Amino acid sequence: MMGAGWWCVETASGLLEPREREAVLGDLAEAGEAAWHGLIAVLGLALRRQVLLWKSWRPWVSAFGVVLPNSFQLMGFSMLVSSMFLQDLQRGLRSEELSNLLGKSVLLAIVAWSCGFAVGAISRRTLWVSCVACLLPCLFCFSRFAVPHRSPLSLLLFLPFAMCGGWFGLRRGRLRLRLALPIAMTATVLTISGWTGSWLSLLALLWPGWFLVAMARKQPARA
Amino acid sequence: MLGEFEYLIITAAASLGDQAYGAAIRDAIEETAGRKCSVGALYTTLDRLEAKGLVQTWMGEATQQRGGRAKRMVRVTAEGEAAAKDFYDAVARISRGAAWAVKRTGGIA
Repeated sequence: MMGAGWWCVETASGLLEPREREAVLGDLAEAGEAAWHGLIAVLGLALRRQVLLWKSWRPWVSAFGVVLPNSFQLMGFSMLVSSMFLQDLQRGLRSEELSNLLGKSVLLAIVAWSCGFAVGAISRRTLWVSCVACLLPCLFCFSRFAVPHRSPLSLLLFLPFAMCGGWFGLRRGRLRLRLALPIAMTATVLTISGWTGSWLSLLALLWPGWFLVAMARKQPARA
Repeated sequence: MLGEFEYLIITAAASLGDQAYGAAIRDAIEETAGRKCSVGALYTTLDRLEAKGLVQTWMGEATQQRGGRAKRMVRVTAEGEAAAKDFYDAVARISRGAAWAVKRTGGIA
């Protein structure tokens, strides 16, 4: 198993779980397969594994129920927060406006974090699809951004919080109820108090937080 | 009830006994049944059979012949044997009277 062809096979086998990689590469070596046969075998297995994952509800809900709709909403929300911040700066900071800005910023952080956590927790092995489902709307809006005197980066204020939530979701899987419940309730109260959009959009933003509550009830988080 | 490919894997693994692992099962299926057995089909089906409790798998020893890589060993469980027997009986029953079955067994099938 030497040469550029086998290097490709070894690299492609990185798509497989470590134990499976070991068994498959060993089988290919024992069978004395040609490198390109080996490459097709490894890629075929990786593809089958991905297809099988999509028989579950998890990747569908994650990519098309959370990431895709909420990426657009959170970009809009990020724009709102950055506009409020700039307006407050121009007018001078007053306590009422400052508290409003603070409330919206906290809400953005909580909603983005809980969306990220839900995505990380429910679709670990198809996370790359969720990442693409977030990246595409971001690139679309980024390329069409035409607000004068504003950076398109203001669209992406939600992204660090969502990524942080996704990382925690991947690592922990579940939250303790005593943590999940305050997060969901805070997001719900803050959202409903100043909501002017449709109920469907509201539901799309809030359900990941309540999903974390429902998951947390079943068992405590791993230590 | 088992699928045809699941039956082939269980039967090949049972025939191989202690020597049942990925590459050996592939060879047995390709040589005996005369059908192509891809690595992808083999390992995804083994996972499905293991999830159903019909086989057990574990990582075996590494050998020089395999470039120092471990084997995924396979053992058919009692449930797996029962499922394979059910499949075989069903095929035998449904084949009674079929021209090709009568020709091969002299009508005893």
